[in-house]
Amino acid sequence: MALLKLENVTKRFGGLVAVDKMSLEIKEGEFIGIVGPNGSGKTTLYNVISGVYFPENGSIIFEGSDITKLPPYRRAHLGIGRTFQIPRPFSSATVRENVAVGAMFGRLSVNVEESLETADYYIGLVGLKAHRDKISGALTPTEKKLIEIARALAMKPKLLLLDEVMAGMHPESIEKMIRLLKEVSEEEKIAIVSMVEHIMRAVIGFAKRVIVMYRGAKLVDAPAQEALNDPRVIEVYLGKGIRDA
Amino acid sequence: MISVGKSVNSQQSIVNIKKYFPLLPVYGIYLLLFLIGIIYPEMWSVVTLLAFYCALGQAFNIFLGMTGYVDFGYVAFLGLGAYGMALGIDVSHQTGLNIGIIFIGIILGLLMATLLSLVVGAVALRLRGAYFAIATIGVNEGFRYLIEGAKLWGGSEGLIYFRQLNEAMGREKTNVIVTFWADVFVLVIAAISAFITLYYMRSKIGYALTALREDEDAAKVMGINVTKYKILAFITSASMAGMLGATSWGLKYTHVFPADVFEIHYTVEGIVIILLGGAGTLLGPAAGGLLYGLSKYWLGAMFPGIQLLIFAPIILIIIVAFPEGIVGTMKKKIKGTVLERYIA
Amino acid sequence: MLLQQLSGNLTQGLILGAIYGMATMGLNLIFGVMKIVNVGHGAFIMLGTFVSFAIFTYLGLTPIVAIPLAFIVGFALGSLFFYFIIGKLTNAPELNSLLATFAIGMLIEEVTKFIFGSEWRGFTWDVGRVTLPFTVLPITKIYAFIISILVVIALYLWLRMTRSGTALRAVVEDKEGARVCGINVDRMYALSFSIGIGLTVMSGVILTFFISVGLNPYMGGAYTLRAFVIAVLGGLGSPLGAFFGGVIFGLVENGSYTLLSLIPGIEPFSLTRFVTFFILLIILLVRPTGLLGVK
Repeated sequence: MALLKLENVTKRFGGLVAVDKMSLEIKEGEFIGIVGPNGSGKTTLYNVISGVYFPENGSIIFEGSDITKLPPYRRAHLGIGRTFQIPRPFSSATVRENVAVGAMFGRLSVNVEESLETADYYIGLVGLKAHRDKISGALTPTEKKLIEIARALAMKPKLLLLDEVMAGMHPESIEKMIRLLKEVSEEEKIAIVSMVEHIMRAVIGFAKRVIVMYRGAKLVDAPAQEALNDPRVIEVYLGKGIRDA
Repeated sequence: MISVGKSVNSQQSIVNIKKYFPLLPVYGIYLLLFLIGIIYPEMWSVVTLLAFYCALGQAFNIFLGMTGYVDFGYVAFLGLGAYGMALGIDVSHQTGLNIGIIFIGIILGLLMATLLSLVVGAVALRLRGAYFAIATIGVNEGFRYLIEGAKLWGGSEGLIYFRQLNEAMGREKTNVIVTFWADVFVLVIAAISAFITLYYMRSKIGYALTALREDEDAAKVMGINVTKYKILAFITSASMAGMLGATSWGLKYTHVFPADVFEIHYTVEGIVIILLGGAGTLLGPAAGGLLYGLSKYWLGAMFPGIQLLIFAPIILIIIVAFPEGIVGTMKKKIKGTVLERYIA
Repeated sequence: MLLQQLSGNLTQGLILGAIYGMATMGLNLIFGVMKIVNVGHGAFIMLGTFVSFAIFTYLGLTPIVAIPLAFIVGFALGSLFFYFIIGKLTNAPELNSLLATFAIGMLIEEVTKFIFGSEWRGFTWDVGRVTLPFTVLPITKIYAFIISILVVIALYLWLRMTRSGTALRAVVEDKEGARVCGINVDRMYALSFSIGIGLTVMSGVILTFFISVGLNPYMGGAYTLRAFVIAVLGGLGSPLGAFFGGVIFGLVENGSYTLLSLIPGIEPFSLTRFVTFFILLIILLVRPTGLLGVK
């Protein structure tokens, strides 16, 4: 059984079709990269999966049950976690409190004390220990991204949707991040979807499977290497020199 | 193994008591106010003024400070509380319950305010930001003009029930209750509100409210049922306001006029107090209440007639220079020191 | 008889509504651009009525002169408040800006009270009247109606035809997008606040063409509340929507007063105000973007 299944999902904004009859399956523990140029509907797809928007057509099935009409917080309880492209930590709260919120209201919804312990674990994991008691609004953008990843992991999700988490990071940090994600995913059986606008080598290193989106629809869905060599993909990214970008 | 478990347990209970240390300065302020009023009876009227502002701030803060939603119609809950007291005394003054009728009044005030908050909360809390603020003004003004226009509960003439109180409890007892106990109740309500605030802060509720105050959409995605927590804070805050209106207006003045008890000015005073002290903090409303009440009293005495002319620029300077209020600014300064344990 | 009374009252309501609408445009302009609700709105209307009062009573000039003067006064005050206060709060929580605008309103009221005292003021500016079959209209009210409409047209043309107006609309639509296009968003904030306050003070002058008595430093509160209802009617943030919202409001207010007066045992004045707030709530629930959806 697929962990997540999208069937013909369509989301419109007025006349604009942001996601167009999208069908998709994600298996438990899978590693997927979603790429596509700006405006190809990736973020909308995330918003539809996490429940920020409801689609006009189609259905979303999570672990066999229909969640198309479920509000976002219920989906979080079922095990869908996500980060935002521009990090949105609760800025007046400390890093620890931020990550604790994930544990407190996520899939397991544990009590305050336990959440703080969980938070400490994931703060250590993403390497923010030194900043634990700082007000999160005062941190750098990259650190804020790490808060978001820790917070999403603390939710104990089964499916984690990452939005441009590696953009703007140093190559070494990217490698570290990929290693970390792989470890956590293996340990906790989390399927991770990572979305990037520009095709980077990192995607290949990260994802076994790559989905390329273009104009709200799925252009290619294939094993990583194959997808990136697909002529249609090269056309979409015309002039971008995909292999060394 | 067992001894280890025990030590963890006792440690935990110490942690639990420590969690409530921040109540000490707040309750210290309220106790001090009470003692000053008792020892210097000529100060009692100032004490009651300060107590009212502290209680107003403390109750309002549970919603306004903790959620960041601005309820301009908050005074409606105090107003309904005052009507609750009036109606409670009116229906029960001949039952021979003696001072029991006051508790009927308080409970009725609490119930009426809570009921209104349920209705308003379920409907208006779907709106955000300015839309919510304007909707709540609409509720407050609508209520006032409905009472006046449809001549409900005495219409614009209001309700006067000093005689009924006398009948039920006798002149002497009525006097003591109206001039002393009504104000003591106000301090008690402030204390209860402070306790609830800290309880919320230290539990999941507080985390949820902080999250939704900062970023409601992100909070939802984190698994927080924002509607539930917003309504919880709204109802709690409104029920405290209901009791406050019942005692500090209904019981103290022994009359209710719609033009007085739905006056938006009180909401604004509450907002000023919370912002002065520090929105969403525990000590803030008490500090803001004291500062606001004292400056209002002092400016009124020193510069009669132009006190507001002086006060307006002061508010503006504070908003620009200390947007996080006294306690908010202080909390940042004492981070990492021993004091941190006592200030929340 | 009733029909005559009703049409008379509706005519008055139409004129008053146009003034109300004009008086709400500044509020909506500021909200549209900065997302700040000016809680001290009514104080600036009050200020305008006193400008008109002073021009007529102390200088003996026609209150028409007060119109541009009031705009200049309002624009200057708006710039001043923006520079020292509002401009520093654009990223602060709502609570801060709401309280700041309230305190600014309070300051305006107290300064006015300090200068003019707190008694009720008024003046009589009579330039004749027009007799219609169902009502008698002083000519000053007709002036008020025409000037209100001219102001609306001027604002419309400014927003549509000029560079700064277009830039302002771009900021309303999408702040970040406008910034990317090279629009100085902070300057647009300052401009909208100054023009918004200028329009509001000016509307106070026009209000005195309709009612020139009962002027008082604290008269603004009732107008603030009306402006909120009107702003929501027309769509918060839409200056032109505000005008039409005002017209609807004026008609509803006067129409329902006439009808409610027929019911015995109630107070029609208060119940009229109840009706307006009830309508406000219904609109907020059903169509919070405003009844008209005018951009």
